[in-house]
Amino acid sequence: MNSLPQELIDAIIDRLPLPSLLFSSLVAKRWRQRSQQRALEKIRFRSEAQVNRWCTGFPQDPEGIISYVRVIRFQDIFSWDDPAIFGRALKSLCSLIELCVSWTDIPVELPGQISRGEIGKGITILRLHRTSCTLATTMSIVLSFPNLEVLYILDSGAGSEGPRRSRPVASQRAPLDSLKLWGNSGGIGKTLAESGFMFRRLSLDVGLSGVEQLIMLSSETVVELALHGV
Amino acid sequence: MLTNFPDRLAQENPCHTLSLPALTTLGLNLGKGDPSPCLITILLSISSAPALGSITFRHDMWFNIDRPFQGPWVDIDRWLTRVAQRVRVQGGLPVMLECWPKGMPVWEGFLPGFRRAGGQVKTDVRSW
Repeated sequence: MNSLPQELIDAIIDRLPLPSLLFSSLVAKRWRQRSQQRALEKIRFRSEAQVNRWCTGFPQDPEGIISYVRVIRFQDIFSWDDPAIFGRALKSLCSLIELCVSWTDIPVELPGQISRGEIGKGITILRLHRTSCTLATTMSIVLSFPNLEVLYILDSGAGSEGPRRSRPVASQRAPLDSLKLWGNSGGIGKTLAESGFMFRRLSLDVGLSGVEQLIMLSSETVVELALHGV
Repeated sequence: MLTNFPDRLAQENPCHTLSLPALTTLGLNLGKGDPSPCLITILLSISSAPALGSITFRHDMWFNIDRPFQGPWVDIDRWLTRVAQRVRVQGGLPVMLECWPKGMPVWEGFLPGFRRAGGQVKTDVRSW
C-alpha cells in the first residue's frame, strides 16, 4: 500500500465517504494528511456547545490541522450565551474561504472584529440563510469582508430594523463575482445598490426592492442574470 | 373601425434604456405560473443585450400548451423581439424552454413576433 504513488493515494482518499476518513488517516503516514484535509475541509456547528468544544478541546495552532478548514457553517444556533465565541471559533482559521450562517443569530460585534482584520481575512464566500439579524447588521457584515467575491442571501436581513448604515464602496471595490438574493430579505437589495456593489453574476428574486437598481449598477459588468419571477 | 392598441413597451417604460453589453446568459424562473408583473417590468427596462447567447425559461410545472397566446407572454414576446433584433451573436438568439413535455413540439403560436424576427424556440435537454 505504501508503494503507491502519492497522487493515487490522494485520488483514492478523495473518493472515500466522509465517515471513512477517520480510518483512512490511520492506514499509513502518507494517507494521514490528505485524509485530515478532507475530513476537516468543511465543518458545521449546530449548537453553542459544539463551538465551545471546538475552541477549548481542539488544538488552535493556526499552522496545525485546523489550517485544513476551508468552509465553516453555523446552523440552528438561534441565540448565544457567550456571543464572543462566534468570533473565537473563526479566529484561528487562517485558511477559511467560506462562511455560512443558517438559522443562526450573528453577534453584533462580529462585523467590527472582521473589519479590524482580527478574523475572516481570507473569506471570499459568504452565505446568509434565514438569519434573524437586522438589515444594519447584515450590511455591516457584508461590508466588513475586504475580499468578498460571492454573496448568497436568502431570507436574511429582515429582522427588526436598527439604524440604517450604507456607504458607497464602489470606488473601493472591483465588481464581485456573484450575488444570489432570494426570499424575504428586507431592504438588503436596495441597500446593496446604495452601497455601490457591482456583480458579474446576479440571481435575483424580482419581488425584492432594489432589484432594478442592482441590475442597473451592474449593467456594464453582468455576464449572467437569473431572475426569479414568482 | 380601426382600434389603436397602445404599445405597452413604450407606454409603461418610456425610458427602457438599460443596456447590458456583457450579458451572455439570461435565466428566467417562472415557478408554477406566468411571468409576474415585476419580472415583466424589469425585462421591459432592458433595451439591449448584444452579447446575449441564450435565454432560458424555467418552469416548475409543464407549460400549458393548449391556451391562446396572451397576457404577460405578449409583453415577453415584444421584448424578446426587440432584444433579438439587436443581438450580435452569430446564429441568433435561441430561447430554451425547460420543463417541456419530452417529444412535444413547441406550438406554432408561441412567441410569434420573436419567431418572425428570426428567433428560435427550443426545448431543453432537461425537459420531462
